[in-house]
This record gives sequence, structure tokens and C-alpha cells, in this order.
Amino acid sequence: MQQLNEQANIALKRTVIVAIFAAVAVVLSLVESLIPLNMGVPGAKLGLANIMVLTCLYFLRARDALMMVLLKTLLTAFIFGTFSSFLFSIMGALFSFVAMWFLLWVGRDKLSFIGISIVGGIAHNIGQLTAACIYFNTSKIFYYLPMLLIMGVLTGIAVGIAVRYLVPSLSKLSLFENFLG
Amino acid sequence: MKRGDILLIGLVVVIALAFIIPRWFDRDSSEKNHNELRTAKITVDGKLFKEVELTQEEQTVEVENEHGLNILKIHDYGIEMIDADCPDKVCLSFGFVDRTGGTIICLPHKLMVEIQGPAEEDGIDATVK
Repeated sequence: MQQLNEQANIALKRTVIVAIFAAVAVVLSLVESLIPLNMGVPGAKLGLANIMVLTCLYFLRARDALMMVLLKTLLTAFIFGTFSSFLFSIMGALFSFVAMWFLLWVGRDKLSFIGISIVGGIAHNIGQLTAACIYFNTSKIFYYLPMLLIMGVLTGIAVGIAVRYLVPSLSKLSLFENFLG
Repeated sequence: MKRGDILLIGLVVVIALAFIIPRWFDRDSSEKNHNELRTAKITVDGKLFKEVELTQEEQTVEVENEHGLNILKIHDYGIEMIDADCPDKVCLSFGFVDRTGGTIICLPHKLMVEIQGPAEEDGIDATVK
């Protein structure tokens, strides 16, 4: 009985964390859209929501993080999207999720959060460009990929540094004590 | 930061530069042949909306349909999106595009502008869908 309680408790905590992280990610995307940052590359953005995805991947199982990514994408689409922009963001989000999950799985000791978030950001760009490519039936859009790669490195470093500060701080909270790997 | 990170950053930057640097040289050579006018193909929803010549004189093209309004301005052998009522305004950030192969895309309005060379250089006369 005691053990069953413990398990239910952990499952509950997981759900709570997923919900909080998804909410924070949505707020971060909103904040990001308010920053009038024109980096000279169309479609480039900071990717602050990636902070939450990466942190979630670190603490929880892959399927919880996937849930969080889907929730975040759906909520952002409801708030300021149209159906077509939802298709693009979900492609980007899924590409980025798979890439980061894979790297955390195989390369945890070779790459730090910075490297993983760079790959996540770049995968997000590639996912969106691929969606646009299929949608518009042209491969010319990949013209912008090299510039996006450079921006991806810069924003990836920023996001990675943020995660490196966020994870130790969250680890001190009692909510996360069952999930320290 | 670990060594893998630095390797990764180096690799990505090298790949990106390998694509960007040749374009700078390309730009110089394409400056010279302005005697042949290039065209901009404007498509909405995958269907051809209009094909306009990229002249030095200014001209504006308005694209208005059920998705919304986009205003394009042509000048100095190039094209630029100057106004749009889409929610994200990403299309405005493409700036002035004047090179063959350059594109401007407005996702919410399903609009795409593509610059084509003076003559059909790719050897394809027509495509059948």
C-alpha cells in the first residue's frame, strides 16, 4: 500500500511538472514575440521555450517531455496562431524534441546543455523549413538555412547557459527530489 | 562547456560559412548583367498570382485575397515586402531581395515570391502536374 501511494505520488508530481513547464514555455514564447528583435534573418528567433523543453527532458522521461512539447505547441497555436502556422511549429517542435532526446540519450557525457540546445534549435529550423518546403513545393527556402545555422549557434548558447543555471536551482526544490538522475 | 560542444559549434559554423562565402563572390558577378531583366513570380496557395519584371523604376504590387493583404515594392532590380497584415510579420523581415533564387515567404497568407533568372536556365521548358 505504501509503495502504491508512492507511485501515485510520483505520477502526480510528473503531471504537475509537465503542466507548469508547458505554461512557462507558452509565457516565454509570448514574451519572446513582444521583443522586437529583428536579427536580419527571416524566421530566426530566440527560442526561449526551448529552455523548458530541455529542462523537462533532463528531469522527466521522454514521453513526459513529448507531452509537454505537444501541450506547449497547441497552447501557443491557440493563443496566436492559425492552423497553418500550427503545422509549421509542430514540425519544428517535434524535430527539435527528437534531436535533443537522442543527444541526451547517447551524448550526455560528451555534450553539455549548450551543445544539445544548439542541435535542438537547428533541428527546429530544419523541421520548419522542411514543412515549408513540402507546403510550398519548392526547395529554394533552404537558401536561408546557412544564416539560420549561425543564428542557431548563438541562440543555442544562450539557451544552454540558461538551462545550466535553471537545472541546479530546480534540483533544490522538493517537487523535483524524486527526479534527480 | 565540453570539448564536444566546441567541436559541434565549429562544425556548424564551418558548414554555414561554406554556403555563405561563395554567395558573396556570386553577388559581384551578378551585379554586371542588369541588362537582362529578371522576374519575380508571386504565388498564392501554390497557384500563380502574377509575374512581374524587376525594373529599376519603382512599382508596387498589392496582393489581396481571402487570407489578407500584402504589399510588395519593386525597385532597383529587386523586390521587397513593405506591408502585410499577417500576424507574425516574418515576411517583412526578409528585406530587399534582388538575387536569382531569392524568396520572400508569408506563411499565414500562403504567399511566396520567387526571383527567377532572365531566361530559363535550368533546361526545363515545362512541368506537368
